[in-house]
Amino acid sequence: MGEFINFLQSNLADFWTYTGFYNATYQHFIMIAVGIFFIYLAVAKEFEPMLLIPIGFGMLIGNIPFNMEAGLQVGIYEQGSVLNILYQGVTSGWYPPLIFLGIGAMTDFSALISNPKLMLIGAAAQFGIFGAYMIALEWGFDPMQAAAIGIIGGADGPTAIFLSSKLAPNLMGAIAVSAYSYMALVPVIQPPIMRLLTTKKERLIRMKAPRAVSHTEKVLFPIMGLLLTCFLVPSGLPLLGMLFFGNLLKESGVTRRLAETARGPLIDTITILLGLTVGASTQASEFITWDSLKIFGLGALSFVIATASGVLFVKIFNLVLKKDNKINPLIGNAGVSAVPDSARISQIVGAEYDPTNYLLMHAMGPNVAGVIGSAVAAGILLGFLI
Amino acid sequence: MNKYIAGIFFASALLGAFCSCTTPEAKSKIVINEVLVDNQENFQDDYGVHSGWVEIFNTSYNSVNLAGCYLKVSSEPGDTVSYFIPKGDVLTAISPRQHALFWADGAPRRGTFHTNFVLSKTKDNWVGLYDSGRKLLDEVVVPAGVLKTDQSYARVSDGSDEWEVKDDSETKYVTPSTNNQTLEGNPKMDKFEQHDSAGFGMTITAMSVVFIGLILLYVSFRIIGKIAVKLRKRNAMKAHNITDKQEAKERRLGEAPGDVIAAIAMALHEAQGSDHDVEETILTISRVKRSYSPWSSKIYTLRENPHKK
Repeated sequence: MGEFINFLQSNLADFWTYTGFYNATYQHFIMIAVGIFFIYLAVAKEFEPMLLIPIGFGMLIGNIPFNMEAGLQVGIYEQGSVLNILYQGVTSGWYPPLIFLGIGAMTDFSALISNPKLMLIGAAAQFGIFGAYMIALEWGFDPMQAAAIGIIGGADGPTAIFLSSKLAPNLMGAIAVSAYSYMALVPVIQPPIMRLLTTKKERLIRMKAPRAVSHTEKVLFPIMGLLLTCFLVPSGLPLLGMLFFGNLLKESGVTRRLAETARGPLIDTITILLGLTVGASTQASEFITWDSLKIFGLGALSFVIATASGVLFVKIFNLVLKKDNKINPLIGNAGVSAVPDSARISQIVGAEYDPTNYLLMHAMGPNVAGVIGSAVAAGILLGFLI
Repeated sequence: MNKYIAGIFFASALLGAFCSCTTPEAKSKIVINEVLVDNQENFQDDYGVHSGWVEIFNTSYNSVNLAGCYLKVSSEPGDTVSYFIPKGDVLTAISPRQHALFWADGAPRRGTFHTNFVLSKTKDNWVGLYDSGRKLLDEVVVPAGVLKTDQSYARVSDGSDEWEVKDDSETKYVTPSTNNQTLEGNPKMDKFEQHDSAGFGMTITAMSVVFIGLILLYVSFRIIGKIAVKLRKRNAMKAHNITDKQEAKERRLGEAPGDVIAAIAMALHEAQGSDHDVEETILTISRVKRSYSPWSSKIYTLRENPHKK
């Protein structure tokens, strides 16, 4: 009997070593708190809930402590575990192009086609990427890591994940979480910079209404967009190819079912898997480092630089534009590719100064150009550094 | 005038593109990468024997299977020996940018990678690699007399065009089944760290490329937009039976200002909105009618339950 009780005791003691309570460290609790904060932001503040809910909950999943030496195959970094299998889409970089397929199928490029000069704002805002790249180099990261961190300034989660999975896989969790966090915080980060860099007169500029765009132009856009950008930067092919393909599905008018699948069930499925696994990849043991903290700092800086460069570019651009063709610099912030949030910010800030001035459709131009621009920038970095 | 500008733009773009194009030479994915003729103290096979060897390299970023290919060797005209690389051995699949080593020991019964020929130590050795359709993929002549014992004749680096004698010196070493030149760092990264430690060069280059890409799109769609507007005006003139351009301009034919479109959209929205119940408490169920398609047919998606007997 005594032996049996000893057996039970040792069994229970063994079991205790497998529990989360036994294996927990303070880092786990920090990450769990961050996850809960993300869920709070999504539910209470409605900041990018589609992203923050999966990422936040993924953080909870990824930070349940367990005995890592037991070979339970439950952790995301344990080969063969379910989470690890789902994470392959991130590490091999095939989730982001599928997300781009969906984005292409849901994006209307009409605003850009009707006023193509807005594309240049999308290009100017990419300075955020390279500004952060230079600062990251200064802070001691190597060029590949600096490029992966800099891409946060593109404000494009899938692109950030795609590039970091190739250039700096060890920093991918921090980069992805940073990119998505700041995308969710666009309503907080951008307005003060926009107000700071513009005069009241500039904020009241009314832009010419966009012209109607024909079906032929809409069909031509993805085809020419693909050929022109990918002949220039073939390394951007996975992202740009899928983006323009998705857009052709939408605009061709004859593949409605495919377009609906791409912008509906497909992108939803991939968003769930991507968000959850990116969140789970923030396992405390891998995530809580000084580098992660630096990445968060650089991410914020890159957003600030991108927003400022977009706004300042419009101001400079206006110097050479005719009086009736001037651009409201409040749409400069939309050059970052956080679609459609940054365009919405242009509208909201613009409406504060003139409620009858509708900037949303104009801001969508640089906004979608930003998607193209950041994918091109990612392609360039990949081409140069890999 | 615009048509001419468009024409000139596209013609010059096409001309530029064609001029910058190079005619790619049909290069084989698998090449002979290194040959060692006289093996005394070099790499030994799994039987512990020192024999000459031929290394094949997969230059592509995809797996290539050598099964069914032929390795041929000749040291005199007319004495060509042909070795058929057997099928059914998974090891004949070479991973991307990896190597396969064939022993020139004349003992094919020892396994897939042991050939039926030996290399001549006194004469030139011609080595050819053929695909299963007997098409020559790559060939090399290993000159006699230049190779000493345990020295190999190899491409300077994997898959490169230049060959050299690997004499096991500091920079030229014999490398069976591995890279002909070992990289001791990341040259691209080193270049950036050396010449562009602050990142200005990368920023200027990359931003220029981003701008060029989007400027190209801008120019293209500016031209396409102008053509589209012209076409729309012409179609509107046809529809209204007007030939005078001035009259068409005055009547603003083909133009659809945003405010007009917005007014139409709002009117449509209101009209459609009035079809529905306003009261929150009333539930309206619309009958959805879908056209038949075999893809969505229930008959094809139903599973037959097992019959009870």
